[in-house]
Amino acid sequence: MTSDDGPTPAPPPRTLADQVAPALVSGPAFFRAPYDAATGRAFAALAVGWIWHLTGGLILWILVVVSAGIVPALGIGLPLLAFSLVAARWFGAAERARIAAQTGVAIPAPLPLGRPPRGFWSRLWAPIRDGRAWAATLYAFLAMLLTSVFFAVSTGLAAGAAAAVVFVALGRGSSLAEWSSDRVAVSIALSWPATVVGALVGAIVLGWAAAALAQYGSYLMVRLATVLLGPSAAEVAHARAAAAEREMRLAEAAAHTARERAVVLTESRTAAVSAADTERRRIERDLHDGAQQRLVALGVELGVARRLADKDPEHAVAALELAHREIKETLAELRDLVRGIHPAVLSDRGLDAALSALAGRSPVPVRVEVTGDLSPASAAAQAAAYFVVAEALTNVAKHAAADTVLVHASLVPDDHPARLRVAVSDDGRGGAELSPGSGLAGLRGRVAALDGTFELDSPPGAGTRLTVEVPCAS
Amino acid sequence: MRIVIAEDSVLLLDGLTRLLVAEGHEVTGYGTADRLVLALSTPGAQLPDLLVTDVRMPPSHTDEGLRAAVHLRSLHPDLPVLVLSQYVEQSYASELFARGARGLGYVLKDRVADVDEFLDAVARVSGGGTVVDPEVVTQIIARHPGSDLDVLTRREREVLALMAEGRSNAAIADRLVVGLAAVEKHVTNILTKLGLPPAADDHRRVLAVLRWLDQNGAR
Repeated sequence: MTSDDGPTPAPPPRTLADQVAPALVSGPAFFRAPYDAATGRAFAALAVGWIWHLTGGLILWILVVVSAGIVPALGIGLPLLAFSLVAARWFGAAERARIAAQTGVAIPAPLPLGRPPRGFWSRLWAPIRDGRAWAATLYAFLAMLLTSVFFAVSTGLAAGAAAAVVFVALGRGSSLAEWSSDRVAVSIALSWPATVVGALVGAIVLGWAAAALAQYGSYLMVRLATVLLGPSAAEVAHARAAAAEREMRLAEAAAHTARERAVVLTESRTAAVSAADTERRRIERDLHDGAQQRLVALGVELGVARRLADKDPEHAVAALELAHREIKETLAELRDLVRGIHPAVLSDRGLDAALSALAGRSPVPVRVEVTGDLSPASAAAQAAAYFVVAEALTNVAKHAAADTVLVHASLVPDDHPARLRVAVSDDGRGGAELSPGSGLAGLRGRVAALDGTFELDSPPGAGTRLTVEVPCAS
Repeated sequence: MRIVIAEDSVLLLDGLTRLLVAEGHEVTGYGTADRLVLALSTPGAQLPDLLVTDVRMPPSHTDEGLRAAVHLRSLHPDLPVLVLSQYVEQSYASELFARGARGLGYVLKDRVADVDEFLDAVARVSGGGTVVDPEVVTQIIARHPGSDLDVLTRREREVLALMAEGRSNAAIADRLVVGLAAVEKHVTNILTKLGLPPAADDHRRVLAVLRWLDQNGAR
């Protein structure tokens, strides 16, 4: 990989001239103009346009001019003018379709007139004050003239070029000299090679001029159509403003979403921090009330034993036995505490095994159901699920008065991203609540920090169901 | 002698009771500060010769024991009190010693495991002496701008720390393995250099030293 291996730059947008009259903007295209497909298309567009403008365009033009002329004279003039201008729109649509078919340039349509207003006169007046219809009429008039000129001149030039070629082809024979006037015959007779060269040069020049003129003419007509048959300048500006406003709305909506997301993240981060804090406090309390006190007491027992060792060995042995028992109890307590901080079985054997271990320690009978393989869930997700289940089972044992508990764990792959779901349901007395500062509330913070969901359903007398989902990738 | 213990850990209460009973004392134990205060503040209640109390006790598990000790001392200024604390904190010490240091002790709970040391503290406090945990003294001196104590020699600073712990001249001589006369000379030098009045009894001396350290340290 080298540094210039970037994404390929997008080609510059093709301009109207690139598309319709490449000979005017590009050297190579000018060089091949006489045999370029663009020239053929331009000639075809001019030819068809010429015929169409001298039929449809001319009829429209006459209709408009005549009806406008008889407006003051006869009552029939006004409806006829209105009809003519409606027809001008039709003509414009047809012309746009023809240009699209022949040159590939799609000119957008102007806005439609909209619903006709109520009332005969208003209805009659609407098309008459339609600026785009008048523009189409003007186009019909201008196009009639311009296509005629361009078609005639470029055809003439092409014909001249063709004639020069024919002249070269036939000029070798004397028949042409005999056919021509005396003077020409003399000049041919005098400098035969110069004449051939001159004819060839003329053919080339005329051919190139015809091609370039045809392309230019076609280009000019498309430009004219864009201005007069497309949307008006006001409409274009309006559309542009509307698009800008739409874009701004989208950007605002995106910013709003981002702000809301930021609020959610801030809240969950705070929850995570406070959950961690609560957890640390719990550990400190456990250590202080448990192991630390036991060790101090142990120190006292051992001190007593040492003092009594000589004068009262019997009591000293009793103190030592007490100290021994306390050490074993302290070890068991520390093991529980360490498991509460992070259970080794979870990191060694995964959530599946850790849930079984939890079930084994629960005083209330627990059934564990695991659907599928939970290992795709991240360590953090599994740990959160584990502690939720552990806390839930502790609460069940303490408060629920339940006979059985069901722990269900599964991955929810339909969601994207996939989520780890654990549900703990018991058949106890229900009515559990998330009081602030409780173990469950702390766990909700932990789950929220992982972008998870926490649902506690505990109607009084109907058992408790706790469902937690965390993203596997968290 | 009669000793009252307030300690919420049943294990430790049992251990201490056994230890003190073995030493020939009569021991009464209370599990909460409320019950202790109730027992000792009722009119006509027979006061023990020593009160040993934990700082952190139910219900709030903060400093109930310390507040109970301060309260009982205000009721019975002559009641000897030995406060056991999970961790020593200078502000607790200041609160405790604010009304005098006679028959008052403040030591780390862990010291209890050193039975001889603990029994020594019990004897000193019940006899009207003062016991300040070395860690409290270290904390106070640590917060002290070094230059203030620069007037003292290294040995004098050691003597000052032991004085602050509430030790008598004899105990200091014992600890530093020097003669009593040498200690007395150091003490006189220290008091002169710090501008403290010579004090006859140890607890008043402790108080003066602690107050001096406290005031100058706060600067």
